[in-house]
Amino acid sequence: MNCECERQRLLNLVRMYDFAITDVTLYLDSHPKCPHGLAYYYKYKQLYSEALAAYERQFGPMTNRANTNPTTWTWVDDPWPWELEA
Amino acid sequence: MWMYEKRLEHPVKIKNPNPAIAKVIISQLGGPDGELGAATRYLQQRYSMPYAKVKGLLTDIGTEELAHIEMISAILYQLTRNLSICDIKKGGFDTYFVDHTTGVYPQAASGMAFSTATLQVTGDTFTDLYEDLAAEQKARLSYDNILRLVDDPDVRDPIKFLREREIVHFQRFGEANYTNLSKFTRHTG
Repeated sequence: MNCECERQRLLNLVRMYDFAITDVTLYLDSHPKCPHGLAYYYKYKQLYSEALAAYERQFGPMTNRANTNPTTWTWVDDPWPWELEA
Repeated sequence: MWMYEKRLEHPVKIKNPNPAIAKVIISQLGGPDGELGAATRYLQQRYSMPYAKVKGLLTDIGTEELAHIEMISAILYQLTRNLSICDIKKGGFDTYFVDHTTGVYPQAASGMAFSTATLQVTGDTFTDLYEDLAAEQKARLSYDNILRLVDDPDVRDPIKFLREREIVHFQRFGEANYTNLSKFTRHTG
């Protein structure tokens, strides 16, 4: 699998799992005791952290707190999210 | 505080630039029912909100709206890439171009600059929540109108996503409003 294809695959996983969290977060704000909502939240939180770790290991930091390259500040590298190449 | 994630909430990949469509969609950035107004409204309503759950809801929806400002801006940026002067004139984009070139400036489709006069922070729980319900419906309507005007599937896809989020937010604000707020834990200074 080529590198760009794999980057898009992992990015979509991160996006999908985090969207599930964004959505259930709003629900939990008004249903904080709902066991189904909480189980859903914890399930996707786990999947999200795994996908994010895999993405950042191969393709660089998602936040400016996740730069790990000892010699280069890769956070600023293109593409930025609004660009077609992102 | 906030932490930026270097990705869009939903993908925006527009192959064909089209300045005429950008002129319309810009209303959802800086227009009367746009995303910049939405984020500002909810995040600024938090301070006078006495109910913990609603403070949380305003924070979380306000934060999602920041991501929507970025999605709309990405749509505008991609629709106005690599334009020739001929494209700009043909698309009716010249009146915007003269002031902003292809920079992404928050304004309404009419040309009116973004204004906080389009939103309220009343300091009253129910007044603010009813304003928020109305705001979500008005934004949903703007997205419906954009979908009536735009054929390009690359543009329709992120617009449909944003339209659906307005409906979800309306639902969540409705629960905050119609739940008996006296049952919520109230934290006052």
